[in-house]
Amino acid sequence: MILVPVEVAWLCFLFPFAGALLSPVLARIHPRLRDYGALFFSFLGALCSVMFIPYLFHLDNLPLESAFVWLTVPIELNVGVLVDPLSIVMANVVAVISFVIMIYSLGYMKGDPCLTRWWMWMNLFIGSMLLLVLSNNLLFLFVGWKMVGLCSWGLIGFYYKDERKYWIGGPPPTKYTVPSHCGLKAMVVTSMGDVLMLGGILIMYSYAGTLNILELYETSSVWLPEMAKSSGLILLMIVMLLLGPIGKSAQFPLHEWLPEAMAGPGPVSALIHAATMVKSGVYMVARLLPIFFYGYWVSGCGEAIYFFIIVAWVGVITAFVAATQGMTALELKKALAFSTVSQIGYMFLALGVAGLTISSLEGGYTSGIYHLFNHALFKACLFLCAGSVIHTAHSIYMNDMGSIKKFMPFTWIFMLIAALSLMGVPPFPGFWSKDAILASTLATHYFLLFSLALITVVITAFYTTRFFGMTFHGRASENIEKLKQKGAHLGEVHITMVVACGALAVIIVICGLIGLPLEHFLGHAFEHTMEYLHLPIVHAEHATPLWVVPLMSVVSVVIGFVPAYLLYFSGKLDPKSIVENSSLLKMLHKFFWNRWYIDSFYFMFFVGGMTKLYTAAPKFEDILDKVFHQMIPSIPKRLSDLVKYLRTETGVLGFNLLYILIFYIFVLLLILWVVW
Amino acid sequence: MIPYILLQIVLMPAVAALIIISTRYITGRKAGFIAGGTLIYTTALLLIAANRIYHGEIISEEYPVAQMLNFNLFADGLSIAIAVIMNLCCVVLAFYSIHYVDHRIEVIYGDVDERTWRMYYTRFFFLFPFFATGFMGIAFSTNLLAMYFFMELLTIIPLYFIMAQFGYSDFIERYKVALMCLFWGVAGATVFLLGMLLAYTHTGSFEIVSLSALSGDPVVTWVILLMLIGLFSKLAIFPLHVWMPWVHAEHPTCIAGLLAVYANIAVYVMVRVLILPLYDDFKVFSIPIMVLALITMVYGSLLAMAQNDVKRFAACSTISQISYSVIGVAALTVWSIEGGLFFFLCHIMGKAMLFSTAGMLVYMTGVRDIRKMGGLAAKMPITAVLWTMGAMSLSGLPPFSTFAAEWIMFTGIFMYGTHGPSIVLVIAILAITAVGLTIAYTFWSIKRIFFGPMSPELANNDKIRDPPVLMWLPILILGTISIIIGLYPKFILDLFHLVLGGI
Repeated sequence: MILVPVEVAWLCFLFPFAGALLSPVLARIHPRLRDYGALFFSFLGALCSVMFIPYLFHLDNLPLESAFVWLTVPIELNVGVLVDPLSIVMANVVAVISFVIMIYSLGYMKGDPCLTRWWMWMNLFIGSMLLLVLSNNLLFLFVGWKMVGLCSWGLIGFYYKDERKYWIGGPPPTKYTVPSHCGLKAMVVTSMGDVLMLGGILIMYSYAGTLNILELYETSSVWLPEMAKSSGLILLMIVMLLLGPIGKSAQFPLHEWLPEAMAGPGPVSALIHAATMVKSGVYMVARLLPIFFYGYWVSGCGEAIYFFIIVAWVGVITAFVAATQGMTALELKKALAFSTVSQIGYMFLALGVAGLTISSLEGGYTSGIYHLFNHALFKACLFLCAGSVIHTAHSIYMNDMGSIKKFMPFTWIFMLIAALSLMGVPPFPGFWSKDAILASTLATHYFLLFSLALITVVITAFYTTRFFGMTFHGRASENIEKLKQKGAHLGEVHITMVVACGALAVIIVICGLIGLPLEHFLGHAFEHTMEYLHLPIVHAEHATPLWVVPLMSVVSVVIGFVPAYLLYFSGKLDPKSIVENSSLLKMLHKFFWNRWYIDSFYFMFFVGGMTKLYTAAPKFEDILDKVFHQMIPSIPKRLSDLVKYLRTETGVLGFNLLYILIFYIFVLLLILWVVW
Repeated sequence: MIPYILLQIVLMPAVAALIIISTRYITGRKAGFIAGGTLIYTTALLLIAANRIYHGEIISEEYPVAQMLNFNLFADGLSIAIAVIMNLCCVVLAFYSIHYVDHRIEVIYGDVDERTWRMYYTRFFFLFPFFATGFMGIAFSTNLLAMYFFMELLTIIPLYFIMAQFGYSDFIERYKVALMCLFWGVAGATVFLLGMLLAYTHTGSFEIVSLSALSGDPVVTWVILLMLIGLFSKLAIFPLHVWMPWVHAEHPTCIAGLLAVYANIAVYVMVRVLILPLYDDFKVFSIPIMVLALITMVYGSLLAMAQNDVKRFAACSTISQISYSVIGVAALTVWSIEGGLFFFLCHIMGKAMLFSTAGMLVYMTGVRDIRKMGGLAAKMPITAVLWTMGAMSLSGLPPFSTFAAEWIMFTGIFMYGTHGPSIVLVIAILAITAVGLTIAYTFWSIKRIFFGPMSPELANNDKIRDPPVLMWLPILILGTISIIIGLYPKFILDLFHLVLGGI
């Protein structure tokens, strides 16, 4: 098999960047040329990424680098691409799904007056995301990181005029939020994590003396023990490094921006806030993981274990908290957003447990990345289908839908496939990766982590059944009836949208059918990387029979599915009256609906606190202003008045002579001071 | 070989100014192009000089005046890199001013006859090139008196007179604020002069290189302290920043970008006059300056958030941003000093973009109050893009050069923090967090000005659109140059390193 030269990896992100730059030029020639041109450049990016898949069958050739000298002074930095199993998997997830979503956009965004801006942002995002995952050094990884954040801001607030139809939130008394506000919120929250992550990278650099990823791995046996001599420094670095991924991947406690990010157009939610950008935090954790694994298990740096403890706990808490919020969400996309946050929590959990015991590395690492891969597929499909449904129902709320199955049979089947995968129903891909995560967690004997993860499986099954049932089954809502009466088009949407959803559904089914071999294939590839990095690979000995975890997983799904089915599919039970009749359920519902009051607390503490601070600043400024522009300038006048007073009131010659004497003494002292 | 290359760079703008004023009724509208053309010529000379210096040459020209005063000019990697970018900002803003000044004259002096109009118009372009002369003079001076002369030249000729005659507000307020600016400039320079004189009493020379003879002498602490206080008042370091919002608010926005250069150039003076000759003696000031700079960074950001006046907003942002370069330089590592100086250059480009765009907004809408704006992206898309570029640049977002500058600067600060006193690490973490504040206020300003629904007044005003191409194109070019430098910062950093690498 012919393997492409590593330099082709540059083209993966250069093509989309070129597409972004050329969009305004092509728009001047013909709008259609602009649209297909944008699509073509993203296709080229995807093609280049796919060309690296054969390397996964020839692992001995990896890792590969191609770089050029970017800076020599004051910091030496060779900038380039790193091709290894992780970057190949990530690049393909990003590039291929991006291309499918670009096809979907052709239909979804048809007729929008700002299409040039749309294609520019989309291709800029794809290029930046590919730069992030392919960069051979942490600085350019960070460049891609910041640029995807910028694109996220631009695309969440794409409908910058904040017209009423693009508001999210509500219905009253819950407040509505406008797209431009949502974009700003995402930008500010993630940026706070980003800048601290940069600080963490710089602390690392101050000891390692390099930003090259492979060099960081190779030299970690030297610089990490050196760093360990300063107590608390490794822990500080870990916390700062992790704040970036926690913010970007919307993990607790920086998870509150993602639900509002749903103000963006459907394809944006699918691409950026489900399939790709929000996974960059998981990617970053996976990139840093070998350094701390080696540091703790080989070099004996005790503080390095905090990396895994923090990641695992953040992951499992997020998975649980977000899943509970997903149970009460009324907006379809918001329910999916909570689900995304929750599922990324699973990925964090997997990567966290990878370092909790020496034998969990391969299992945790593989299951985390495998779940990332699967989740990208089924969540992109779910969001694209949700976009189609919202397009048809003319509403973002699930209680404005219902019984849509008969109007949109293709979308129904595609979304069903993706939903089953999200729930973890065998043999869909989500089942395999979630099962692997649960197995890895159980193998570490951290039973609290495992229990929370298993409870989350129940909740996942519940909310998935709920949103699917509310959307496609049950009774048709008043809104749908009204649309029918008006003679609105209730049916499948644009052909490109159906094709894109279908393509993803087919890939999901195929990946599910080859789920176990695929997991082993990825595991083998990652094991090769670990061997290359001299990480100790100890295969876990399962304390329980192999069938226990899958069985527990399936039972959990059933436990979550049955009540949701009765409530939202069959219509035999009325969820509203059940909640109304139970004070406990009512309280829980309110608690989850208000997102555990975390968002309100943040708003009160951070936004309110900052507002108090910045409103106090001008008051303080006024005081300074008075001191410098009124009090100090008045000193000469006051002195002059004093002298005038003394002279005019006395008029005695002796006083005048005294002044002259004082002046001479002053001059004399000045001369003496200068001379000495 | 071009003769008297540095002298030409310093004097040519002044010569152009004299030509403009002496032919004011003939040149008329062409005055802007004469000023801009001359500055393009000097930029070309600067690039030629930069290329020579990049290849190892040092350019020195001697112009003695008296025994202790000379106007010798000296260009090394540090001064040439600074000079190129400063001159570039002057070029861009000269072309931007061509339309803008026309507008200011109309607003201030009303419908005047052609002759009077020409008088005012050429007066602006007579004053404007002195910015370039002042900046270049400071960059290339080897003598402290000459440097002081150029600092005062900037304060008195272009700053005072342009603000007084072309500024905002009414006649009285304009002159009052111009006078305030003059007093602060002179006061700062006077304290700096006191430091110089004190140094002279011990070295017997005003040459910058002779300052190193003071190293280890107890008087050096007082020399540094006096000079620092003088420079801090120019840098608008807390609490000596109070003049900045006033001055920026009343300045014509076409030179507001240069006011940021005027303030920020003190960082270069700090490195050239204090750090390079007196590195060891300066160490004692390192942490206190970092603390002051940190306070200014945060305080400036809070002030910026509180502003509703689009011009004052940019002014408060300048207070905050200048402190970034100060904190970098004060950390005294090779990375932080080079990064801090690089940040100075990136900041003046970003600030020229932001201020000029603020000017475009006022020019086209006649509104300064941000609360009355909103939704303007629909009518002014190019202006929105330029403001966003300015915001990105100030926020240190790639691919703008500010990102590379911040990264290098913070590398140095963290390097000092992890291997030095713990307090520095705390300062470093707080300072890098303050970058988040910058992102918050700049992107919030985008939302407030350009996004959301438009007020009926603005929506019904058909005259609101993007400004003429001669206003936005130079700013777009400046933004593009900032991106190019961000993608390839090697040239400037190599030049810096020729001088600062030895630290």
